[in-house]
Amino acid sequence: MASLLLRQTLTKTKPTAIIRRFSTAAAVASPTEYEEPTGITMKGVKISGRPLYLDTQATTPVDPRVLDSMLPFYLSRYGNPHSRTHLYGWESETAVETARAQVAALIGASPKEIVFTSGATESNNISIKGVMHFYKEKKRHVITTQTEHKCVLDSCRHLQQEGFEVTYLPVGSDGLIDLDRLRKEIRPDTGLVSIMAVNNEIGVVQPVEEIGKICKEFNVPFHTDAAQALGKIKVDVEKCNASLMSLSGHKIYGPKGVGALYMRRRPRVRVEPQMNGGGQERGIRSGTVPTPLVVGMGAACELAMKEMEYDEKRIKSLQERLLNGIREKIDGVVVNGSMDRRYVGNLNLSFAYVEGESLLMGLKEVAVSSGSACTSASLEPSYVLRALGVDEDMAHTSIRFGIGRFTTEEEIDKAVELTVKQVEKLREMSPLYEMVKEGIDIKQIQWAQH
Amino acid sequence: MAVPGAVVPMRIEVLHLYRTLLRVGRQFSDYNIGEYSKRRTMDAFRDNKNLTDTRLLSAAFSDGKAQLEVAKKQAIVYSLYAPKVKSILDF
Repeated sequence: MASLLLRQTLTKTKPTAIIRRFSTAAAVASPTEYEEPTGITMKGVKISGRPLYLDTQATTPVDPRVLDSMLPFYLSRYGNPHSRTHLYGWESETAVETARAQVAALIGASPKEIVFTSGATESNNISIKGVMHFYKEKKRHVITTQTEHKCVLDSCRHLQQEGFEVTYLPVGSDGLIDLDRLRKEIRPDTGLVSIMAVNNEIGVVQPVEEIGKICKEFNVPFHTDAAQALGKIKVDVEKCNASLMSLSGHKIYGPKGVGALYMRRRPRVRVEPQMNGGGQERGIRSGTVPTPLVVGMGAACELAMKEMEYDEKRIKSLQERLLNGIREKIDGVVVNGSMDRRYVGNLNLSFAYVEGESLLMGLKEVAVSSGSACTSASLEPSYVLRALGVDEDMAHTSIRFGIGRFTTEEEIDKAVELTVKQVEKLREMSPLYEMVKEGIDIKQIQWAQH
Repeated sequence: MAVPGAVVPMRIEVLHLYRTLLRVGRQFSDYNIGEYSKRRTMDAFRDNKNLTDTRLLSAAFSDGKAQLEVAKKQAIVYSLYAPKVKSILDF
């Protein structure tokens, strides 16, 4: 039956653009506007095919096994998990609880401690604003770092406007925080320490176990944004003594629009809910739990648990191939962030004597990013690189390569080839590079104004 | 020890499963998923080559069959929504 339908669908002639009256076919944004048989033209750029995807820190493709687990909940099992009176609700609720257990198993928690949200941004908002608002009588101080995700920094800024005090810990040139400095900054009225496990821009892994130990000593709740760490490095809420942990679905080959928040029960940490309503998710996050998305996230977590070791070994060898491939052909390549304490799938490189915008413009056949997706709209260099102490000109030329489960050796080799070609072309045209080759030290030059 | 319900697959069944999984991998319209499918099959079968425990053997075989069912369905779904232009590596 399925094969007959398939044969009929694939041999149908291309649908015309005529909209028939009374047709209920969904008006989907048709990709025929920018896709032609010869290639893709979009925003004035023409490329021969879909680019290589090397931006896994921004988002990851949905794993087919995850999609397979989600589809029944869009097709026939579409009930609301909070409907208590019929089969549709019961089967939906069972699926949500199964997914909850799968997510909890990956981080070593109990299913009762997991709350589903719309993503890591929402989980971060609930953690920071929710915790501080709940304990606002006694606790007025928050500690975080300068390299956190924008949502954490923005929530802290919101708290500052309300009258709380926030300490932004500086990081070293390797991207790691100073544990003694953290110890000194903790005060009796510190309500929360929020430090991300793996940075999305530079891939540096913070020492969460040591931080957890310090927080336990001073009895301060520890929140960690584990969106980039989940399913990639071993994250255990007991080992790092986290009171709160933000998780994201679309960074581990799951669907977009879903995330989770881990909230410790012993000792209990209380939050003020940011979403009020019917009291779903134990009153922490009201709103219908999106069953297909949650099931997808659960399946993605279960997969991640099985595949973590295999993926890590493979991605490590791909990262070495990428870095060595680029370093063999060109010099002046700097890796931003510590090389030892790093997640293997994130490689943030700066190329000296090359202008960043033009480098990215020439790399249209490789989907990479400079800085994080959230900040790529503005023209400023990334605040994370600035916190690392990287010079302005090097910060502008940084490119972040993201390697994932589905990246192949061929893609890495092609990315190396394209990057090297573009960098060499730009350096050829650069008068600064000519001066460097002649031996002039650029930083000593007194630029005369005309 | 003979565990009830543990069916030890014969060598020819294992080979058939292997070849079918690789064939479905080739049918994926998406370059990345197809390559992953083939590579993961080869690595998984290679890692389980020397299993002798009957329970582990039959568990791995039934796991492989379940993965094949998922792969066949998803190959159809991906081909239904395949973009008109393929990855630049497909040229």
